[in-house]
Amino acid sequence: MNRKLQTVLIGTVALLCAVSGVWFYQSSQADRPPDATAAGNMVLGAKLMGVDDQVHPFEQWRGKVLIVNFWATWCAPCREEIPGFVKFQQAYGPAGLQFVGIAIDQKPRVIPYAQEMGINYPLLVGGLETMDFARQLGNRMSVLPFTLVLDRTGKVVLSEVGILKADKLEKTVKPLL
Amino acid sequence: MGERVDRNRDRLRVKFSVVLRIAVAALVWFACVSSAAEPDLLEPDQAFRFSARLVDADRIEVHYQIAPGYYLYRDKFKFQAIPDAVAIDASQLPPGKVKKDEFFGDVQTYRGDLKFTLPVKSASSSARFTLKAVSQGCADIGVCYPPHEQSAELVLAALSSASPDGAASPFTRRSPAATLPAAPPTQSEESLIAGLFKGGLGVLIASFFGFGLLLAFTPCVFPMIPILSGILVPHGERLTHARGFALSLAYVLGMALAYAVAGVAAGMLGTMLSAALQNPWVLSAFALVFVALAFSMFGFYELQLPSVLQSNVAATTSKLHGGHFASVFAMGILSALIVGPCVAAPLAGALLYISQSGDAVLGGSALFAMALGMGVPLVAVGASAGALLPKAGPWMQTVQRFFGVVLLGVAIYLVSPLLPAVVPMIAWAALLIVFAIYVHAIDPLPPGAPGYRKFFKGVGVLALVAGASLLVGALSGGRDLLQPLSVLRGASSAAESGPAFQRISSVAELDSALNAAVGKPVLLDFYADWCVSCKEMERYTFSDKAVRDRLARMSILQADVTANLDDHKALLKRFHLFGPPGIVFFDRGGREIDGVRVVGFQPAEKFAATLDRALQ
Repeated sequence: MNRKLQTVLIGTVALLCAVSGVWFYQSSQADRPPDATAAGNMVLGAKLMGVDDQVHPFEQWRGKVLIVNFWATWCAPCREEIPGFVKFQQAYGPAGLQFVGIAIDQKPRVIPYAQEMGINYPLLVGGLETMDFARQLGNRMSVLPFTLVLDRTGKVVLSEVGILKADKLEKTVKPLL
Repeated sequence: MGERVDRNRDRLRVKFSVVLRIAVAALVWFACVSSAAEPDLLEPDQAFRFSARLVDADRIEVHYQIAPGYYLYRDKFKFQAIPDAVAIDASQLPPGKVKKDEFFGDVQTYRGDLKFTLPVKSASSSARFTLKAVSQGCADIGVCYPPHEQSAELVLAALSSASPDGAASPFTRRSPAATLPAAPPTQSEESLIAGLFKGGLGVLIASFFGFGLLLAFTPCVFPMIPILSGILVPHGERLTHARGFALSLAYVLGMALAYAVAGVAAGMLGTMLSAALQNPWVLSAFALVFVALAFSMFGFYELQLPSVLQSNVAATTSKLHGGHFASVFAMGILSALIVGPCVAAPLAGALLYISQSGDAVLGGSALFAMALGMGVPLVAVGASAGALLPKAGPWMQTVQRFFGVVLLGVAIYLVSPLLPAVVPMIAWAALLIVFAIYVHAIDPLPPGAPGYRKFFKGVGVLALVAGASLLVGALSGGRDLLQPLSVLRGASSAAESGPAFQRISSVAELDSALNAAVGKPVLLDFYADWCVSCKEMERYTFSDKAVRDRLARMSILQADVTANLDDHKALLKRFHLFGPPGIVFFDRGGREIDGVRVVGFQPAEKFAATLDRALQ
């Protein structure tokens, strides 16, 4: 095959790639998670019912290093990370760290579990619509567990789908305190 | 001879460098793509593919295809029929695999292919109902999905619908035999590729065999024939037809085995890649590879194994002695590796195609069948004791180009779900037209042209006309691949375009539309995208002149319930309909006219008569 045809061919393929790339970038941009501040504002603007039947506005935790954990009792990987969270809350709570759990679950299941595990941070209960909220925050497949870390200014600094490993959590949180 | 080999080697080197360049470009592209992609998590509809069908009047078969690395909880399933006149008993699920859970004790989970039947009891003998299935599962990488609802439309037959030709329904009321599910539950129900394999194993194997047979008529069989004659020659005069047949069969079986191994490998690779294959990027990448392969079939460049590898294998092959079945078999295996330049591209295409099915058995058997097809002429040569040899001719190139067209077609098919409908349509048009030019559709036939030229010209002209109609249709706003020019019919006489329905989507909107239409009879048509008879009504009945004249004297409403929102359900419930198809009529005072409902398809004359009753 001659060189000219080859160049034309490769050029055409490259152009096609570029066009499809731009198109795909734009279409994926549409459901891209909001930027760190906007996501933080979404979280801090939310209100959810707690296991104590009180409405808890997230605004009350503004100024703390806030860790929001979406979980459920039926989700084995979620339960795996909770003992670590309890320890974390205990160790760094006085320094201004605040865990908040959002259980996509039923209250009667959450309460005995929380007692058994000695969960020492507020637990809120949400329905499936809460998963939509998580989706908007960047959890594109709506899965559990899903954890967000907000710094003291209310910016989302970490958004983790799946188990959040203790060392990663520590590395993220320590500089914020 | 030596000079020819040298020249060939130079040509090979050039070809190889082109292949290398393409490969590098593809790699770079893949790298960009994968960095842009999400972590490997499937949408719940893809991780847990749900489908259901009626086995008979009192059993539903539920099928979950659970992606590798994902599992569902046995005790989290919930099944419900809408409307609840149909009762579903979900107490007897098959036992799952026990998983220890420190908090809940033992839980049972399912993996892989999950099929079970659910007993149903229907209060009425005929019903269309929706099966809602709620499932809950997790992925091994450590995430869980919230309860996920999927649904399937099921039809207990003996629905009072007439079949399209107006014949009476073959099902009697007392024996509501089950029919096919009316529609796939979700668009993601079948993966894009699995759809290609829907024809069943038999059809697939037959078509791969046919493919192999076609491949055997490309110039690439020639490298195989010297090998084969090398096998047969040592027998010299004593070579009988039977022995020639047996030897060449052993050779072909060896070749087929090697191909089958490649097929199995592709199938298994596909299983591992199943998550990636749902990704638009990967689909586009495959489409590009297909395009590259197709271009090689058109002779822009040639793809084959690196020359070093080729000559090594050829040397080994010639060292093996012919005449013994085992060594002939081994030769077959080895010569499968020296696939000639034109087999390489379709073979790579077939392997990619199989890898997307994710089925090792299927991949193996399909490629085995393809190799057998390729071997048929070789066996014929052997059985004729070497007397039959195919004559070379330009027709062989046509076969090769046909493969190019097939590969391009696969590429379009792969990406068409990702693109707006007009793009694949224009692509198909371009493909057909360019194909037509390649087979000399518009070149004059020389006097006394051989039969095959006439035949190919005929095929070419057909492709040209089809391509041109697609292009004209696409450019004038048509989006129907099978009826590209239907828009022109509408444009040329406005009177024949579909009736202008007023869209409603809730009970409140219906009431206000009924109020507004006082003094006119009202027709309300329930429609959904998945409803076949609704489309038939649109295409054959509503477009009829007599029907249109009558509809003009009525107020016509349409409720598109495709989305099945709560408003839609409420609307259907008001008329005790399970779903479309269904047409109800209201008199001039806005009350429903009893006994003139139309459920299912009605041909134009019958429907016109129904309209007359409503207009009275």
